[in-house]
Amino acid sequence: MAADPIVSIRDLSKVYRQGEIQVTALNNVSIDIQTGEFVVLMGPSGSGKSTLLHIIAGIDRASSGSVLVQGINVANLTESQLADWRNQNVGFVFQSFNLIPVLTAAENVELPLLLTALGRAERRRQVALALDLVGLADRGHHRPDQMSGGQQQRVAIARALVTDPTLIVADEPTGNLDAKSATDVLSILQALSRDSRKTVIMVTHDPKAAGYGTRSLHLEKGEIVA
Amino acid sequence: MNLPTFILKNALRNRRRALLTVLSVGISCALLVTLLTLQRELTVPPESAGASLRIIARNKVSLAQPLPAKQLAVIERIPGIVAVSPFTFFGGNFRDETVTSFAQFAVDPRRFQGLLVEARVIEGSYEDFAKDRLACLVGADTFERYGLKIGDRMKFTGTFYPVDLDLKIAAVFNGTVDDRGLFFHHKLLDELSGDPGTVGTWYIRAASPEVANDVIARVNAAFENTAAEVRAETERAFQLGFVSMLGNVKMLVLLISGAVVFTLSLVTISTMSMAIRERFRELAVLKALGFQRRELFAFILAESFGLAALGALLGVGGAWALWTHLDLQKLTNGFLIYFEVTPRIMAWGAAVAAIMGVVAALPPSWQTARMSVTEGLKTLD
Repeated sequence: MAADPIVSIRDLSKVYRQGEIQVTALNNVSIDIQTGEFVVLMGPSGSGKSTLLHIIAGIDRASSGSVLVQGINVANLTESQLADWRNQNVGFVFQSFNLIPVLTAAENVELPLLLTALGRAERRRQVALALDLVGLADRGHHRPDQMSGGQQQRVAIARALVTDPTLIVADEPTGNLDAKSATDVLSILQALSRDSRKTVIMVTHDPKAAGYGTRSLHLEKGEIVA
Repeated sequence: MNLPTFILKNALRNRRRALLTVLSVGISCALLVTLLTLQRELTVPPESAGASLRIIARNKVSLAQPLPAKQLAVIERIPGIVAVSPFTFFGGNFRDETVTSFAQFAVDPRRFQGLLVEARVIEGSYEDFAKDRLACLVGADTFERYGLKIGDRMKFTGTFYPVDLDLKIAAVFNGTVDDRGLFFHHKLLDELSGDPGTVGTWYIRAASPEVANDVIARVNAAFENTAAEVRAETERAFQLGFVSMLGNVKMLVLLISGAVVFTLSLVTISTMSMAIRERFRELAVLKALGFQRRELFAFILAESFGLAALGALLGVGGAWALWTHLDLQKLTNGFLIYFEVTPRIMAWGAAVAAIMGVVAALPPSWQTARMSVTEGLKTLD
C-alpha cells in the first residue's frame, strides 16, 4: 500500500487580477507528491509553475481548492502560523540566490535558525554541517560578493537545509548559473532527495535539469498536461 | 550571529548613508537644543539667591517716569523692609562706544550694600567706593573685558541724562548673576542733573521671602492716590517685564524649533524609506524563511531608532559641549550670559530624536507588512 503523500493538492485554482483583466494562473490542479520525490515542474512562461510552487511552499494563497502538506491544510493557516510552518517545514532556493549581502555565508545559513530555540553553539554546529553538505565548509567566512554564483547557490541550498525541512522548493535554481555550477547544484538537490529522503520540488525551463528529477510535471495555461 | 548583530550589519551596510543620516539628525538636534536654550535665555532671567527677597518699585505710569526722592522716608518705615536704595539707570556709552554695552546705575552706596547679598568685592574695597562720591563699583566681567585697573577713570556719555560721567574705579565685585554692571553715587547724578529730587526706581530688600508679597502690597498702598503712584514687584517679575518688550520671542523660537523638528522627521523618514525600499527583496526572503511582521518591524525600528539615537547623542552632546565650554558672554558682548543647556533641554532634544526614530520606522514597516513574499521577490527581480 502506498504511503500517504507528503503533498496532496486537490482542485487547486488561482485567479488574480491584472488591471481590468482576470488571469487564471492555475485551473483545477490536482497532484500528489510522495516523500523523497524530486518533482520537476516544467512549462512555458506564464504556465503557472512558479505560482504552484509558491502555493505549496506557503508564500502565496490559492483562490480555491486544498493544499495538504504533511496533512496540514496550508490554506487554513494564518499569516503568523504560516510563517512558523515555513520556518520548520520548507527550505527555499531561489533563482537569484537571495543571500543577504552584508552577512557571511555562515551567517546567511544561520538566519532561519535565529527563529528557533537553538543555542549559539548548536546553531554553529548545524551551520557547519549544512555548509559541509554542500561542499563549502571552508567558505563560511566569505561574504556573497566574494563567492561565485555556483557557490552562492550552494550557500542558499545550505540555508534551505539547515532547519532540516521535509520539503525543499527550488525556483529555477540553475537559471543564473554556468553549466558546471548548475550540474553541481542539481547533483546536490538530487542527493538530498535520493539519500536524505527530502522532498524536492523544482521549477525549471531546462530539460537537462529536469533529467535530475524523479518525476516531471508539465504545465500549460494553468493546467497539468503531462 | 544574533539578531542585534544582524540589525547592526544592516544599519551599517551603506556606511555613507548611515553617517549622513546620523549627521543630519545630529545637526538638527543640536539646532533644536540651541534654539530651546536661546528661548530659555531670553525668557527666563537668571535667578540668584537674593532675587526672591529683592523688590523693585517703579513709577506706575511707566518705567521712564521718575519717582520723587522723598518717597524714601515713607518706604524705609514700611515693616518687613531691611534695606532700600535709589536705583537709577544711567544708560551711558562708555568711552567712544556708540551703544550702552553694560548698565550703569546710580545708587546710595551705604544703603545699597545691604541689597547685594551675594556680591563679593574682589579688588579694592567697598568702603573706598562708599566714601568717594566720584568712585564706582564695577562688575568683574566688565573690569576684565576692558582690561581695567583699580584707580582707572571710566568716562560715560549720557544718553538718557544730558550729563556725562567721569568715575574712578574703587572696587570690583563678582558673585552675582550678572557681573557686568557698574554702580556709582546717586549724589553725583543729582549734582550733575541739577538736583531734580527724583530717582529712577527704588531697590528694596524684604526681610524674608515670606513677607515679600506683603511688602509689595504695602509699598503700592503707601503711594496710592498720590502724584507718583508706584508699582512694586519682585526683581524677577521686573526682569520678565523687560523680556515682554522683546515681543513674542517664545513663539518665534517655537516656530523655528517646529520647523527644525519637521525637517528632521522628513530626513529620517525619507532615509529609512530609501533604506528599506532597496531591501524589499531581502525582507521578502526573510518572510519566506519564517520571519514574521513583528520581527521585521523590530528590525526596522531598531535600525531607525539606533541611527536617531546616535544622531541625538552626537547633536545633544555636541551642543552641550559647545555651549558649556564656549565663553558666549564674551563672544556676544554680554548679550548671552549663561546659555545653559539644562538636562531638561537635553532630554527634549533626545526625546524628539527618539520619537523621530520611531515615526521614521512606521511607513517602511507598514509597506513591509503589506508586502507579500511573492510581490517582494517580483519587485526586485
